[in-house]
Amino acid sequence: MVKGIDITIPRQGIVGIVGESGCGKSMTAKSINHILPSFAQITSGSMIWHDPSGQVCDLVTLKEKEIRKRCGTDIAMIFQEPMTSLNPMMRIGDQIKEVLRIHRLETNGEKAKARVIEMLDAVEIPEPAIRYKAYPHELSGGMRQRVMIAMAMIGNPKLLIADEPTTALDVTTQAQILKLIRRMCETYNMSALMITHNMGVVSNICDYVYVMYLGTIMEQAPTSELFGNPMHPYTRGLLSSIPGVYDNPEFLKTIPGNIPVDRKKFKGCEFCIRCSNDIKKCFFEQAPLYRISEDHYIRCHVRGGNDGDINNGASVTEKEE
Amino acid sequence: MEDRLILSASHLKKSFRTGRNNNVLAVNDVSLEVIKGETLAIVGESGCGKSTLARILMRMIDADEGSIYFEGEEISGLPEKKLRVCRRMMQMVFQDPASSLDPRMKIRDIISEPLLAWKVYDSRSKREDRILELLELVDLKEDCLDRYPHQFSGGQRQRIGIARAIALNPKLLICDESVSALDVCVQAQILNLLKSLKQKMGLTCLFISHDLAVVSFIADRVCVMKNGQICEMAPASRIYNDPQHEYTKYLLSCIPQI
Repeated sequence: MVKGIDITIPRQGIVGIVGESGCGKSMTAKSINHILPSFAQITSGSMIWHDPSGQVCDLVTLKEKEIRKRCGTDIAMIFQEPMTSLNPMMRIGDQIKEVLRIHRLETNGEKAKARVIEMLDAVEIPEPAIRYKAYPHELSGGMRQRVMIAMAMIGNPKLLIADEPTTALDVTTQAQILKLIRRMCETYNMSALMITHNMGVVSNICDYVYVMYLGTIMEQAPTSELFGNPMHPYTRGLLSSIPGVYDNPEFLKTIPGNIPVDRKKFKGCEFCIRCSNDIKKCFFEQAPLYRISEDHYIRCHVRGGNDGDINNGASVTEKEE
Repeated sequence: MEDRLILSASHLKKSFRTGRNNNVLAVNDVSLEVIKGETLAIVGESGCGKSTLARILMRMIDADEGSIYFEGEEISGLPEKKLRVCRRMMQMVFQDPASSLDPRMKIRDIISEPLLAWKVYDSRSKREDRILELLELVDLKEDCLDRYPHQFSGGQRQRIGIARAIALNPKLLICDESVSALDVCVQAQILNLLKSLKQKMGLTCLFISHDLAVVSFIADRVCVMKNGQICEMAPASRIYNDPQHEYTKYLLSCIPQI
């Protein structure tokens, strides 16, 4: 489902993965803390975790118990739909406190409660002491997402994985939540991996962006570079199919066709059948990652050109921090 | 009533009971007019009452107060039997194409159902011709007729939903968040399709969305709603370039710029 992805997340950096539904972006995120659905497995590759203390470990080989220990304290995750990821039968304060209890970060009940309230205040929930006792259904979508962020942040993680954190929210709430995530990253020295399909979200919050299509990274670049100078035909197609707010063409330029259902057929480039460049090579040979400029790589025979440096993309590594 | 209006509503009110002593005013004194041939967009955050308004205008639910005129005729008090004629003229395309198509019906049956219900064609072959014509309009291939909804992607399902909606040549098409569940590429395809259909068939369209960018692409006039009330209604260019209401300004400032 996901083929040979290399991702590097720098300390305190916000990295984004964008792609359409079904491209494997969520699978990539879920593979990090081993919450893949049972039909999916990591078949090869490594995920190197660089601990601030200097220790290095491979997350792929970690046992269930060891990864459990890391979830919440090293790696935290927030999901798309806050209502389904919160327990409807539990007060939100107790749900957040659970993190402290399970990881034995704070065994004193009173102190734990104080820390939770402090955290609720940090994620800008008004009247945190009263809201501590609220049930999830009493809160609005934006508030629930704030609770999720508080829950993720209370263990003081080094990496926050946000899987479509704002998709279910209104634009106004989305703007607030994005601002909050950005601020949290700065104040708590945290890195973040943002998974989203929304180009606007990415351009707003991320420092570096990976564009994914059918389980492969098609283009990767710093945000300003990607939006200012998109190179891959897929990235260009994606960007041109987003309607603008102020100027719009008569008709939007779209990528022809649909995402192919049967992926096994492809030997060559995943995008070849929808690509405007009709070149034979693309149908038979998977393009390597070509280097365009310092941090800008694309996987395309045509645009990558022959003069670009070839970075061998065959090795499967996923690196965090 | 003026001829240029296709639909007009005045002072609509609708409240829902949310608890023993709680009422939510979903639509609070809304008046609007839809001009023939235009695309009027209703934007607002979730819970602002835009979908409720659309449902009231279609008479899917009844308003507590206010009146609705369709082509000069008052439809707000009409009994269901007389309303049927109007129903033919206004059709709806829904948000989730998966749940708005019957999973046990083939595409042919889905598209021909409105034609059968209205007994538009007396012979099977004529009906079949119309179905093929409709498929061509929404850019679907002929071979999909004998397949079921689950065999299609989200974008294709939405095309089927659109084909069903335009089968009876309606005058007014109401699109309730019709493109929100789709990926950007597919969304662009469907938006283009809606725009070209509007030009080809002279449709009037009431487009409900929370996405200001999508609305700016498709709408001629925009109506911004908040808490069940209209806060600003103006031509699209004015809304985007010279917003008057504070809330419109705030909404515009929240859109992430690329």
